[in-house]
Amino acid sequence: MSQRIVIDPITRIEGHLRIDVEVDGGRVQNSWSSGQMWRGIETILEGRDPRDAWIFTQRICGVCTTVHAISSVRTVEDALGLEIPLNAQYIRNMILIAHALHDHIVHFYHLSALDWVDVTKVLQADPRRAASIAEGLSPWRRNGYREMAAVKDKIQAVVNSGQLGIFTNGYWGHPAMRLSPELNLIAVSHYLQALEYQRKANQAVAILGSKTPNIQNLAVGGVTNAINLDNQATLNMTKLFTVQNLLKEVAEFVQQVYVPDVIAVGSQYPEWLGYGAGVTNYLAVPDLPLDAAATTFDLPGGVITNRNVAGVRRIADWNDAQFRERTVESIDRAWYKGSWSRHPYEEETVPDYTDFQDNGKYSWVKAPRLDGQPMQVGPLAQVLVGYATGHEPIRRWTDAALSQISSMAGAQVGVDALHSTLGRHAARAIRAAVLSELAPKHWQLLVDNIGSGDTDIFNEPVFPKGEIRGVGMHEAPRGTLSHWAIIRDGAIANYQAVVPSTWNAGPRDERGQMGPYEASLVGNPVADAELPLEVLRTIHSFDPCIACAIHTADPEGHELSAVNTVNSCG
Amino acid sequence: MTAITVIGLGNVLTGDDAFGPYALNTLAAQYDEPDGVSFCDLGTPGLDLVPHIAGADALIVLDTVKMKAPAGTVRCYRKEDLVARGPTPRTNPHQPTLADTLLLLELQGLAPSEILLVGVAPERYDTGAPLSAAVRAAVAPAIALAIAELERLGATMHLRDEAAPADIWWEAVASTRAAAAG
Repeated sequence: MSQRIVIDPITRIEGHLRIDVEVDGGRVQNSWSSGQMWRGIETILEGRDPRDAWIFTQRICGVCTTVHAISSVRTVEDALGLEIPLNAQYIRNMILIAHALHDHIVHFYHLSALDWVDVTKVLQADPRRAASIAEGLSPWRRNGYREMAAVKDKIQAVVNSGQLGIFTNGYWGHPAMRLSPELNLIAVSHYLQALEYQRKANQAVAILGSKTPNIQNLAVGGVTNAINLDNQATLNMTKLFTVQNLLKEVAEFVQQVYVPDVIAVGSQYPEWLGYGAGVTNYLAVPDLPLDAAATTFDLPGGVITNRNVAGVRRIADWNDAQFRERTVESIDRAWYKGSWSRHPYEEETVPDYTDFQDNGKYSWVKAPRLDGQPMQVGPLAQVLVGYATGHEPIRRWTDAALSQISSMAGAQVGVDALHSTLGRHAARAIRAAVLSELAPKHWQLLVDNIGSGDTDIFNEPVFPKGEIRGVGMHEAPRGTLSHWAIIRDGAIANYQAVVPSTWNAGPRDERGQMGPYEASLVGNPVADAELPLEVLRTIHSFDPCIACAIHTADPEGHELSAVNTVNSCG
Repeated sequence: MTAITVIGLGNVLTGDDAFGPYALNTLAAQYDEPDGVSFCDLGTPGLDLVPHIAGADALIVLDTVKMKAPAGTVRCYRKEDLVARGPTPRTNPHQPTLADTLLLLELQGLAPSEILLVGVAPERYDTGAPLSAAVRAAVAPAIALAIAELERLGATMHLRDEAAPADIWWEAVASTRAAAAG
């Protein structure tokens, strides 16, 4: 007899991500990933001025504001064939780096660390031992006894007050939790410190973007940060030095805390380097352009199919013909009218809701495909592509991480182990480390360029009569993001956003091929069907962001996640 | 001086979920921002709320609230109402935000000691739709509650010398377009 487990996180009006798995013999046999919300943002943009589109797309998702803003201006610039000034390129790059660092830190510590860390065990920890272990893992200056003892006291105080709140995740004492009390204490102390560094990264975005969470400084054709190094009201040296210092502090945290923590946790759960691979086709697009015309980049792009990392096909720039021409979205299993696979330029968005049908339509998320294949996107895709194409910082950080995991786990762990649940966490930490090194580089590029006397920030867009088309690409924290627009007589005629979580969380297609979330769950162990912690571990490793729209406070009702287990025969 | 942060939460592109930003922007258009007070339209930031709230002595939140009451009903909640229920595992970064944020800040010693959530029951979440009539009618009473709280906390509220129109850009552009098309 198999059991059906439904993890439906939100019971309010518009739901988010729902995961169904069938478990038999302690393993997942089948799975479905379903987005429980219709967005239809495209319809809002029709007829609007393309220069305003980014202000709207920035509001698609409250967490991914910056990335949708950047992709949108790039889309219109691509359609116009419009280059942007070097200063604008570097300022955008700095914002993207700071945002990504912020996002990766929040993901690991505040969204997923509690899948691996059991906070109650902190109370059994010896702070002196914890400090000595932590000091052996990293030179981080805030790993001392005082810090550890203070965190233990804080947790004790919270437990005593009965206000467990944030840590009441229901999975304490789960048999799949295995860290020692001391490692739990170290992780919780870093969990709290991570909040400070999240704020610092956010401050850097706010200074460059004029505001967060919704930045104000973009324009089709460049940025609006007037540059005058001696003027209080503009982007000046004082502001630039503040940004430099903030990002330096964030870089230290990433390199000395985040990366070692992922390695330490990973070495305690080595079997999770064997679960969760799923779809082993990967896609990443190049980002952080180094010139005005975007011909060279600091982050690599490429396509890997069927686990064949060595056989990577490089995506050199944003003119890549395969990505531009062979990206489609399938609605065969999604709640839209019909059963087509279409290029984003040719899509229409006509909802057609049925019930949740295992063998029919079951999700609001479409299923993107590249050359007919599902693709996994995200930091793992970019790290594998970079590793295969000899990207120096990615190779260096990856080799160092794998060798440390190997020595701590007492077994040889190679690149192949990255096709896994923990591999996605490791890759995200590696990407964060690489970005933390690129931050001072792009800061220097900007300062040197301004120093050469160039203060240009904007090239005026001019819209032709007739139809133009463009795609804006961005390698966002959750992976490849693309916006696609048709502009007719200077107004938007069609707009589609193919977001990272669509690639990863999408349903099956007309050929029955599962999406990455679905495929990654099959074969995973589930020790206790009432508490399917293992399913959450794998889904969280993708850094899901399905919601991107509805938010309603709910102090009265049930905002809580529901885990329903249903017995079913056959 | 008491540092007070007033925030509007919600997605402006999805019908009544725009209530928070709508009310916040209306308040900011009518009143000067007093010293020590900051008005922020934050959208739906999930845990990114943390940096915007950290260190404030008092917090006032304008947001839609799922409640068993007719659309447009205005209800107030205090800190203890918000942290009463423990959150559960998240599956994405949007999920329960306010309660989690407050507890994280509590552990850091940076949580506001006074909180007022002015909540309004929504009617519909249609993409691109303006506020429903019921929720629009709740904007003025909700703002009045926020102002009463600001004054109770010691802020001196002054109406702007020249009333500025509220910056409801997401509705304004739509109506311009409709006018042009008509």
